[in-house]
Amino acid sequence: MALSLDRNFRLALPALAFLLLFFIVPVLALLLRSVMEPEWGFQNYAELFATNTYARVMFNTFMVAGLVTLISLLLGYPVAWLLAIMPRGLANIVFSIILLSMWTNLLARTYAWMVLLQRTGIINKALLSLGIISSPLPLINNLIGVTIGMVYIMLPFIILPLHATMRAIDPVILQASALCGAGKWQAFTRVLLPLSMTGAIAGALMVFVMSLGYFVTPALLGGTSNMMLAEMIAQLVQSLLNWGLGGAAAFVLLSVTMLLYAFQVRFFSGYADIR
Amino acid sequence: MTSSFLSIRNLKKSYGEVVAVDDVSLEIPRGEFLTFLGPSGSGKSTTLYAVAGFDEITSGDILLEDRSILGVPPNRRNIGMVFQRYTLFPHLSVAENVAFPLRVRGQDRTTVKKRVDEMLSLVRLSNFADRMPAQLSGGQQQRVALARALAYDPPVLLMDEPLSALDKKLRDEIQIEIRRIHQETGVTILYVTHDQEEALRLSDRIAVFNHGRIEQIGTGEDLYTKPATRFVAEFIGDSNFLDVASVADQSNGRACATLPDGTVLDGLSTHHVTRHSGRFELMVRPQWLAVAKEGSDGIRITVKDVTYLGDSSSALLETGWGQAIWLKGPAATLRGLTAGQTIMVGWDFAKSELFEI
Amino acid sequence: MLLNYNQLGRLKYVLLGITGVICLFLLLPVIFIILLSFGSSQWMIFPPPGWTLRWYVELFADPRWFEAAFTSFKLGLMVTVLSVILGFFASYALIRGRFAGRGFLRALFMTPMVMPVVVVAVALYAMFLRVGLSGTWLGFVIAHTILAFPFAVIAISNSLERFDKAIEDAAILCGASHLEAIWRITLPSIRLGLLSAALFSFLASWDEVVVAIFMASPTLQTLPVRIWGALRQDLTPVIAAASSLLVILTLVLMTIAASLQKVLNR
Repeated sequence: MALSLDRNFRLALPALAFLLLFFIVPVLALLLRSVMEPEWGFQNYAELFATNTYARVMFNTFMVAGLVTLISLLLGYPVAWLLAIMPRGLANIVFSIILLSMWTNLLARTYAWMVLLQRTGIINKALLSLGIISSPLPLINNLIGVTIGMVYIMLPFIILPLHATMRAIDPVILQASALCGAGKWQAFTRVLLPLSMTGAIAGALMVFVMSLGYFVTPALLGGTSNMMLAEMIAQLVQSLLNWGLGGAAAFVLLSVTMLLYAFQVRFFSGYADIR
Repeated sequence: MTSSFLSIRNLKKSYGEVVAVDDVSLEIPRGEFLTFLGPSGSGKSTTLYAVAGFDEITSGDILLEDRSILGVPPNRRNIGMVFQRYTLFPHLSVAENVAFPLRVRGQDRTTVKKRVDEMLSLVRLSNFADRMPAQLSGGQQQRVALARALAYDPPVLLMDEPLSALDKKLRDEIQIEIRRIHQETGVTILYVTHDQEEALRLSDRIAVFNHGRIEQIGTGEDLYTKPATRFVAEFIGDSNFLDVASVADQSNGRACATLPDGTVLDGLSTHHVTRHSGRFELMVRPQWLAVAKEGSDGIRITVKDVTYLGDSSSALLETGWGQAIWLKGPAATLRGLTAGQTIMVGWDFAKSELFEI
Repeated sequence: MLLNYNQLGRLKYVLLGITGVICLFLLLPVIFIILLSFGSSQWMIFPPPGWTLRWYVELFADPRWFEAAFTSFKLGLMVTVLSVILGFFASYALIRGRFAGRGFLRALFMTPMVMPVVVVAVALYAMFLRVGLSGTWLGFVIAHTILAFPFAVIAISNSLERFDKAIEDAAILCGASHLEAIWRITLPSIRLGLLSAALFSFLASWDEVVVAIFMASPTLQTLPVRIWGALRQDLTPVIAAASSLLVILTLVLMTIAASLQKVLNR
């Protein structure tokens, strides 16, 4: 059936026009500027990858995003697992804590970490008084601070989908594996882990993509010398007014994000429907 | 053509290449309970929805009291409908649900109230007026849906497998309710089902649908005793179809057939046979078959299995040429049979129809 | 075995331990801010030498905080209305429409949610500079509606999908026009979805920082922009007071959402 023949399609037109005008057009215009300013060509991209500072920012971005994803996955997996099988009352408490942290204003949370991670903050104080360290650790204005702050933000985004996957696994399968003679470790590595893998990968992809483009936390916890891609784009256009280079950086961020998103939709969105 | 109350003329509906309804014509007198019976995808629901008016039809016409209703949008057709799924408005109480069609027609409060009370007592749910749909059982929900569909006194009530989501016992109960309500209100009902027993119980006439066409229309008895096609014979009641090697002596609607094992049967009914040669099948209902004495007319078969079913028993038999057929009869008459035994079975050949294949 | 809580054996205590530590980790900043906002130390020494309401007094004494909060609230309401209306029509088209390219349209509607916010912010900033929408209410509303829209579509299309189209058909056969059926039957039936669409749209705007930083002008600032500005200057405990109020707002909204869900689901 042709597009225009369906009456209901017309209802989507206002939203479509709105997105086209204020989303698609401006984004395309920005990307276009990367090859138009100051003149036609790919010199902005050449500069982006050749300049040490910019290349370092991109490296930092991917490294931090990767690290955040890995740590969130390792920390989130046991929680998601336990949440799926815990008695309801207890699980509800854990859920409320996760939701509270997730719903609390992002700036409020980041502010708390800014204070907590200071040289004189309570984390350093606690470690000092326990005798674990002898002098305060530099936890803020560097990538350690960014990683801690981001893991904090991303944890719920890995726990919730992974929990859904875990819940969908029939416990009888694990009983069957035990009857087949599998010990706990074998049951974990050969049954539970593979069965929960789709959820883990889907969650990890989402967290990685979100981390790549994150602006607020890196900007506040990272300090000036450890910029990440999103902040760099903002600086390039706002402070340096270099729209060409900013557009090029935006294109890099956008294409990686969209590629991973498409990958996730293609390979991991179906798994929720199969169940 | 004599004008009837509702008439469907040469209705055709196709979705792209797929023809869902192919040249269906029906004349329905006022007050009739007509059932569309057929397997899923046979076009029965599509025909019903064409009367409701949700989809545009490809060609043909639908007339109500001699006026075409094709140009009338569904909300102005004034037709009642009960759907297969539960369609009570979830945020309105039972009484508000029944009142809804009256409210959209702008009737005043007292009229609406009176009519709602009448309708709820018709479906015997007066005590449930203030309940919400989620608090009702499936059967109760469908009865409220029936009250809602009848509240505005529609000339025609459409019912699209309204009982298919209910369990057997509840279905039987509500079938009785539907019959009573049909008799009390005199409304013309078009009823869709794939359940032959339900169709036989409820309807004045049944239209058997297959592949978008009507195979036969008639009373339940007509369809059972005089099936017009092999499909109808198979769909209404159980049937065996014996292979036939050749047919001879066709005259006066009777014929003589030779079975593959050489048995000759005479006096078979040939209502639907139009040619002299070709391949034929012989319909035999399992209930007609009975164990016969050696030497009498019938066929020789081997007993494969006997199953006890309470009031009756059924036996799986194998003919001399290896065809499996069923026999059904009172448990007492089949008691002596054992697997492996070879016996004669016979029946009243005059009942048996020959079908072309 | 591994998916039975009572058969985990010692592993149960390992998992409980990890979960407990992570819950503490998730709670730590939230509790910390609230304690901090009542601490008397300007330098946020912890544990604080004494308790005070001074920072709340300072917060309420500065009209700029209140102004920013009011701006955020008004903006949030406007975005909510626009996003729910656009979202309803878009969802209706997606769920009830039978046209080619529905999957593509759905993916398109979701992209503002997936795309890095900074790219959307910079792109809109560039456009608004040209057409003179930068620093205006209209610009703000448009920008935040773009971000809120996918949340509205998700919530509404989910509830529309669960709402049987046959119920709408029944209303039409009862004599209601299509619009009347949508207005009197469909909308009330999916009110839970509409409500969560509204809630998410509001929060998407209320909490949004990145686009707001680009859209804001000295005279038009949302609460997050104001906090952002203050954070970049110094870590005054006044921010802790403001943040604590935001945490309480979150708690209130969570409770309302949970109890509304209970009431409406009955």
